[in-house]
Amino acid sequence: MKKGGLTMTRQGLFAAGVVASALLAGGACAQELRFTVWTGNDAHLAMLNGIAEGFRESHPDVTVRFETIPAGDYTQKLTFQIAGGNPPDLGWMFEDSIPAFIAAGVVEDIGPALRETEGYDLDDFSGPAMDLWSDGDAVYGIPFSTSPFMVFYNKEMFEAAGLKDPLAMAEAGEWTMEAFRDAALKLTEANDAWGFEFKDGEGYDSRIMHAIMPPIRAYGGHAWQDGECGFDDPEAVEAVTMLHGMIFEDQSIVPPGEQGDFFSGSAAMTVNQISRASKMPEAGFEWGIAPLPTGPAGAAPIIGQAGISVFAQGDKKELATEFAAFMTNAENVAVMAQFFPPARASVLDSDAFIDANELIPAEQMAYVSDAIKQGSVLPSHENAPKILAAMKPRFDALFRADADVPATLAAVCAAIQDEL
Amino acid sequence: MASLNEPGTTVRAPRAPWLTLKRRETIEGWLFVSPTLIGFLIFFLGPLIAVVFYSLSEWNLLSQDTIFVGLANYEDALTQNPDFWQVIRNSVIFAAGLVPMNMALALALAMALARPFRGVVFFRTIFFAPVVTSAVAWAIVWKFLLQGDAGAVNQMLATVGIDGPNWLREPNWAMAAVIVTRVLKMVGLNMILYIAALQSIPRDYEEAARLEGASEWQIFRMVIWPLLAPTTLIIMVITTIGSFKVFDHIYLMTGGGPENGTLVLAFYIYQQAFEFFEIGYASALAMIMFVIVLALTVVQLILRQKGST
Repeated sequence: MKKGGLTMTRQGLFAAGVVASALLAGGACAQELRFTVWTGNDAHLAMLNGIAEGFRESHPDVTVRFETIPAGDYTQKLTFQIAGGNPPDLGWMFEDSIPAFIAAGVVEDIGPALRETEGYDLDDFSGPAMDLWSDGDAVYGIPFSTSPFMVFYNKEMFEAAGLKDPLAMAEAGEWTMEAFRDAALKLTEANDAWGFEFKDGEGYDSRIMHAIMPPIRAYGGHAWQDGECGFDDPEAVEAVTMLHGMIFEDQSIVPPGEQGDFFSGSAAMTVNQISRASKMPEAGFEWGIAPLPTGPAGAAPIIGQAGISVFAQGDKKELATEFAAFMTNAENVAVMAQFFPPARASVLDSDAFIDANELIPAEQMAYVSDAIKQGSVLPSHENAPKILAAMKPRFDALFRADADVPATLAAVCAAIQDEL
Repeated sequence: MASLNEPGTTVRAPRAPWLTLKRRETIEGWLFVSPTLIGFLIFFLGPLIAVVFYSLSEWNLLSQDTIFVGLANYEDALTQNPDFWQVIRNSVIFAAGLVPMNMALALALAMALARPFRGVVFFRTIFFAPVVTSAVAWAIVWKFLLQGDAGAVNQMLATVGIDGPNWLREPNWAMAAVIVTRVLKMVGLNMILYIAALQSIPRDYEEAARLEGASEWQIFRMVIWPLLAPTTLIIMVITTIGSFKVFDHIYLMTGGGPENGTLVLAFYIYQQAFEFFEIGYASALAMIMFVIVLALTVVQLILRQKGST
């Protein structure tokens, strides 16, 4: 009996050991990827978690935790996490911060892994869309959102001013910078509202580049190129002079220090990305979207981008790269297209994308698709924070009624040249 | 039984206990202050010493590249960076505008509200409320009120025929606007300090002066003001230091603009450290700010000592 009892004890211990080993082994295999994002939107997070669930089909022990950091603090907090030795495995990256992150060597080159991933087809991403995220064969991020800036307009105010619809003007090839200026003035005169509002009303502060680059590129200018400032080139001067005239002579653009929100009906036009269409059902007026007006240099669509990068300090880089590849394969890019316009040509050309946004009619989405294919991203630079900080006080001086536009733009160039 | 004090025997004195009353009190004293002391060492002295070392290096937070550069950061700030002197000038203007205005208003309010009268608590609460109001809410509301033509302030001015400026878009007006709104936010604190000081002055002094035929102004100038001097010094030191350290108000109302017109030292340090990630340079600027504030405090203390002698 005693012997039998001992045997039972040994068997019990053996069984417990097996269970414990299995649990420990299971624990060792289970891995969590930490993925930082700047969205807190429930629909966005549900979509992202759905993609993570799909990844578990091939990696049942892997969970992905999406950590939201507010957009305003995103780059700063991410930098402190990296500097503090606690980097996330992957994260969304803003277009204006990726050059500095690449230069600092804190994002991983995932190009080789993506090329080896079966069925991934890296070449499906359009070349211009990948410019910012790659350097030769090295790939430091995959753009998940390539969203062009479009003109949002209040149809009722256009009708009240007796103006032709901008989309119709665009189709007839009449939607030019001159037509835009003329429309903004007539809209201001005909309605109790401003003709145009810069993106999010921040054109004089955090969105200076969004305010000035559409006309500058339409006139054939640029911000900087090959280390040389272009703000004082004649094309840029002409474009900014036009903008200055609209603000202070025509008084058709919401001026500095005033508020005029398009979405609440106090401005007739604004520039934004199609993700802002989600605000329109609450606006209470008929609206539409049109491409940016063309200039002497023709059409110059501008796109805003955000990408997914794997961090070089992470201890699960291989797994993180696999998830980045999964998340940006054709199937998942099509899923994300409902919120984030894709850079994959195969998805961009599909009917699924044209019909993806239930708020925007297909004929307007076709312009979005065209703009993505032809557009170029806003100017970026590894010293972007310093460049923008140096630009800001000079542009403050520009946005005054008595400003000498050419002299002020020359001062902008003098201030930023060292950083270029 | 042999006597303990037998002649010729050496008597060893009993050994004194190690834990004497003095030692025990000393240990207890250290134990009592240790929580504060440890906190001071870890969270104040440690970082302060670290900042000195950081200021001697070129340390980019993002790339983690650190190079010892000696005094190069100080040299760059003091001799090569034109923005630095504008920042110092702005900080001095801010302090020079804020400190006298704050102190004068605080004293005036305290004189009016020190003596009890019906509703005095209500008025004290009204003037103190902004101190405990969220700085963010305060700045946002004022930013809204100080808009150009559509702002409530300018619309009120328009009713009396004054064409108000675009307050936060013109450098000089922006500085005036941030000073005044900051004074309105913080004056309640100094008002409370002055009220406490005024209430501690014995009424006999005033009454004696009044019996001697002194006017109200003479009573204030000859009796009350000298007796308020210690409080005035404390308020001046605290307010001056606070004005050099102002950050949130600038960050929220103007972001240092327009045209760097409100770019003050604390905000500039923040910009270097947390926007450009130049920790070494920001540390050098922080050391410069530390020296300026320390020097101002010492000067004020010396002036006070000279005044009292």
